[in-house]
This record gives sequence, C-alpha cells and structure tokens, in this order.
Amino acid sequence: MRKTPTWPRHAIMLVVCVLMLIPFYWVLKTSLTGENIYAYPPRIIPVDPHLFNYVDVWYMIPFPRYLLNSVIVTLMAVAGNLLFNTTAGYALTKNFPGRRWVVLLLLSCMLIPFQATIIPAYLITSWLGVLNTHLGMALPMLSTIICIFIFKASFEAVPRSLIDAARIDGLSEWRIVLRIMLPLSKPAVATNVILNAIWSWNAFMWPLITTRSAEMQTLPLGLARFLSVMENTTGALYAFVVLVLVPGLAIFLMAQKEFIRGLTAGATKG
Amino acid sequence: MSLSGSNGWLILRHRFVAVPLALAIVTGAWNAYVAINDGGIIAGTVQDPAGRPIAGADVLFFERSMLNYVEERRTRTDAAGAWRFDGMAVHVGQVEAIAPNGQKSERRQLRLWFKAQNTEVTPLIVREYR
Amino acid sequence: MAACFLLPALTIFFLYRILPLGWNLWLSFHAWSPLKPAQFIGLEHYEEMLLDDEVFWQALGNTLIFIGCSPLAIMAALAIALLVNSDLKGAAIYRTIVFLSYPLMTVAVGIIWRWLYDERSGFINWVLRSAGIINEPLKFLQSFDMALPSVIVADFWQVLGFYMIILLTGLQAIPQHLYEAARVDGVPARARFLHITLPLLRPSIFLCFVVGILNSFTSFDLVYVMTNGGPGHATELLITLIYKAGFGQTRFDYAAALTVVQFLLLVVLTWVANRAAGGNAGSRET
Repeated sequence: MRKTPTWPRHAIMLVVCVLMLIPFYWVLKTSLTGENIYAYPPRIIPVDPHLFNYVDVWYMIPFPRYLLNSVIVTLMAVAGNLLFNTTAGYALTKNFPGRRWVVLLLLSCMLIPFQATIIPAYLITSWLGVLNTHLGMALPMLSTIICIFIFKASFEAVPRSLIDAARIDGLSEWRIVLRIMLPLSKPAVATNVILNAIWSWNAFMWPLITTRSAEMQTLPLGLARFLSVMENTTGALYAFVVLVLVPGLAIFLMAQKEFIRGLTAGATKG
Repeated sequence: MSLSGSNGWLILRHRFVAVPLALAIVTGAWNAYVAINDGGIIAGTVQDPAGRPIAGADVLFFERSMLNYVEERRTRTDAAGAWRFDGMAVHVGQVEAIAPNGQKSERRQLRLWFKAQNTEVTPLIVREYR
Repeated sequence: MAACFLLPALTIFFLYRILPLGWNLWLSFHAWSPLKPAQFIGLEHYEEMLLDDEVFWQALGNTLIFIGCSPLAIMAALAIALLVNSDLKGAAIYRTIVFLSYPLMTVAVGIIWRWLYDERSGFINWVLRSAGIINEPLKFLQSFDMALPSVIVADFWQVLGFYMIILLTGLQAIPQHLYEAARVDGVPARARFLHITLPLLRPSIFLCFVVGILNSFTSFDLVYVMTNGGPGHATELLITLIYKAGFGQTRFDYAAALTVVQFLLLVVLTWVANRAAGGNAGSRET
C-alpha cells in the first residue's frame, strides 16, 4: 500500500503552531526588553533584556493582594465544589422518587448561561449581604452541573457489592462516600479540582460585578484596572500579564489530561 | 499514573505532589533569602579615575517619585572613601557622588530584586580629581 | 437523606440559575429601581428597546456577526483535528500547543491582542509594513470597520483549541472498521470524509456551534479590555450592553429586558442549529 508522505502535514502543523505561539512570545519579549516598547520597528529579540519590570510590577501595584484574593476565592470554589458535587453525585446514583425530574432539572440548568443571570444574581448577592466579600465572589461557582454528572458516572462504576458490604458494616451514607467512593474516583476528583480551579481563577465578569473596593479585587480585575491606570513605555504592563498567566498555564500543563477530560465530558453523549 | 495505596516515597513522583512541592520549596527558599538579605543597607565607595578612594565626598541618593527621581538622602564618605545608607526600603533608585572639589560622578541607576535588598554598589568614579 | 445530599447544590442552582431567569422576566415587565417599589409597565421596556434604542440593534447585529463567524473557526479546527488525529509523530505536542490558548484568562488574551494590534509597534502592523502590503499603520481597534473583526480574530485564537479538542474526541469515537470497509470497497478519500466522517461528527459540530453561540455572550471580558464596545458601539455586544445598562446606568429593569431578549436569541439559535443538525443534537439515537 502506498504511504502518503507525512511532511506536508508536519509543515502545516508547524505553521499553525508558530501562529498560535506568536502572541505568547511577543508579550514575553515585550516584558523583558529594556528599550522603549513603542519604538518602531520592533525588534524580535529583546534589546537589553532585564527582569526588573517584574520587580516593579510586584511593588507598584498590589499584586500580592490581588493574588491572595484570587487564591482565596479559588480555594473556596474548589472546596465547595468537591463537597457539594460529591454529595449530589452520590445522591443521584440512588433511585429515589423524582430522580428523573431532578436530573432533567439539572440538565436544563446547564443550558442557562451565566451571562443570562447577572442582574438578579447581583441583586440576590446584595440581598444576602455578601457583596464585596470572598464568599460572594465564590458563591455562584460553588457547584457546577457538569461536575456533578462526572461524579455520578464515576460513582456508578463502583461495584455494588462494595457498597452493600459497607452498608452491612453499618457505615453511614456520608462515610460510604468518603471511604469507598472517593478513593476509587481519583480521576473524577482531579478533573473536578482542575476544572473549577481554572474556571474560578479566570473568572472576570462576576468578580467585576460583586467587588466594590479595590482591595477585594482578584487578579483579572487588577489586570483590567492596571491597564487603564498606567500605560508607560516600559514593558511593565506585559510583565504583569506574564505574571498573571504563569500560574494558570502551570496548573494547566500539570493537569492537562484531567482538564481535557472534564471539558469533553459533555461532548460524549451516552 | 494513579495515586493508589501506600507507595511511600513513590507518591512524590506523581506530578500532583511533585509540582506543588517543588513550588513550595522554591518559594520557601526565596523567602528565606529575602529575609536574610533585607537589611536595607546600600553601600559602596567613591574613587577617582586612578582608583584611589576619595574621602569626604557627598553621596546623594535619589528615589523615584511619580515622574522623575528626587534627592532624598545624603551621606558622606569616610577616610577610606566608603559610604553607606541604612534603612533603605526601596527597590529602585539612583546614586551620585560629588567630590569635595565639586566634581561629580555619573548618576548610577540602581535596580534591586526586592525592597531593602542589601546591595554593594560598584565604585562610583568621579570624573576628574586631583 | 438523598434530599439533604442534593440540597446544597440545588440551592445554588436555584438561587443563581432558575430564580434569575424568572426574576429577569418579571423585572422586564416592571419599572423598578432600588429606591422605588416596582410598577408594572407591561411592554414599555421592549418598546424602548426595539423602537428607540439604536445601540440595541447595533449590538444585536454585532452579536449575530460574532456568532456567524464561528463556523469559520469550526472549519479551521476541523482541519487541524483531522491533521492531528492520525498517528502523526508529535501529535500530542501539536495538540497541546494549539490548546494552550484556551485556559488563559480572557482579560490577559485581550491585552495580548490589544498589544499585537497596536499601531505603533504592534506585531501585525509591523509584519504588514515590512512586507510592503501597507504603508501607514492600520488602527485596528480604533476603526469602525476593523474593530469587530479584530476582536473576532482574538476570540478565534483562544477558542480554536477548544473546538479542536471537541472535534478530536468526536473523530476518535468513529469506529475504524467503517473506514476499512469503505477502503476495501474502493471508496475514494473525499467520499469517505463526506459520507462517514462528517455525518458521524454531527453531534460534535453541533456542540461546537452551541459553544460558539455561547461564546458571543461570554466574550464580555475580551470586549471590555480591548475596546469597551467602541469605537462608538462598533464592537458593542448584547452582553456589554447589558452590563452597561445594569451597572453603568443602574437601570436594572431595562437590563433585565435586554437579558430576556439575549436568552431568547440563545434559545432560538440553538433550536435552529438543532434542526439543521437533523434534530436530537445531531446524534442518531433517540
């Protein structure tokens, strides 16, 4: 059988990859350069590279504060998701009256995009009194439907014999989840954590709506604010961008498989 | 690779443990380095073009304000031509030396890695000195 | 007991998904401000929106253009997915590189592309001027004609990887023996693609299209950072209009009416796409 040469495909993919990576490189280069960034023509290699833009960014804007806020909100979102999604997923594996309706309800909630809810969500958060707090920022993200179904599928794969044996041993439902289900669902837990960590870390619109004071702002908000406050001729803004992107990229590269698995969980029907 | 059972030290090889651990170690080491070296001491010497130390020269320290650098501190070199500022809680600034005969050195730009980093500045050379 | 396990999650969804839908609808028929009690005014908000508000129509048009460009992205992603699907050496690296842009903060993506489009020393202007295609730098984000396409390209860069992953998953779910049988029967490659691959990919393509529709709503971050709806509403999307009406002018009731219209648009477009995909979200089973 004639083998088609693979080099055209490699060539095309190389071009595509270069195109996809150019924005990263360009911003990195700008953050390192020592010259006026608006000088034309721009150089491909940074002139006089130095890392002091990063030091400037760290001290000139409240970067540690923004980082702390982002981390707190993300931790809350991940913890809440782990807690609520496992319990909900487990409950959905049992047959109780009305289960079908609950599943249908959850599926239809998945179709409601977050953007369709911002006005009332803001009013509810304000009524609950958690506006401008970490809890208020994390609240809508404390549970995600797709993760409930991931857990449900994972729990359903646990052999019934284990569960029955545990029940006979007198373990409470909560213990069953903790001792038997979770250890056997490590991939689902990892997927859950990664998906929620990245979604919560990148969230912009909701924190924008719920924060009122500058010290509660998270990293994306700080970035947007810094953009309008200061555009100087050094690469400081782009050093900020790099600093903001590095944690997200690091988490993603560490947990690629789980992230992609979580995203495509909705794509595989049945 | 799954986190299963009690593998003992093997669990460290799993990326979910190794990566955060490495990050924690690097962060801890950096913080330790900063804590040891943040005395806020910026020191150096003033020399003439031949390399001899100049005693009694004024050394000015300029701190960065909104648009430009403003003189904030001033000290004098001792008999060995050495100068020193204490308690400098800055990460960027400029130093300049003025010899007793009025001759100035270049204005040296200082960029530090963290605030109050103890820095030894290379000698400030006064342009002409007799 | 099952109820109590489900309760926290259901409360969150009730509070932040279901209740807001109904509340939006109710608000859209009332005149309400945080200071005065609500007053039923019927369809006045909708009248204002459809008859008096030119910005609404522009935002609606921009949103539809945004959605209309997503098939282009899906086709490009399909091409890449096909190239990367086979046992090409290094396919995993290619996949990672193309997907790398998706998990980024959209605000950062906006700033990156804003810099690429910069007229003084941006990459795109530099390449075009060096290649002699243009003499004067193009003001991408400040021109009325080029602002929206520029934002769409930036979004394209970010979402390409996501479409590729979904299509790859769909491609890998196609049983190989179908291709083998077709090859044995002497079916040419093009026909194999048209009659085996495409029909079996319909669910994935449908999913990509739905994501594309949702994308025009979630692109708030991108527009906010790149142009904030400008110049002069050229890049105004429905979602930015809602934000400005609700949190800029504090007209929560009007913003609620806009949200209802946006949601209806989403439902209608998804339904149309479903029909175009052959019903049942593209898959063959019931």
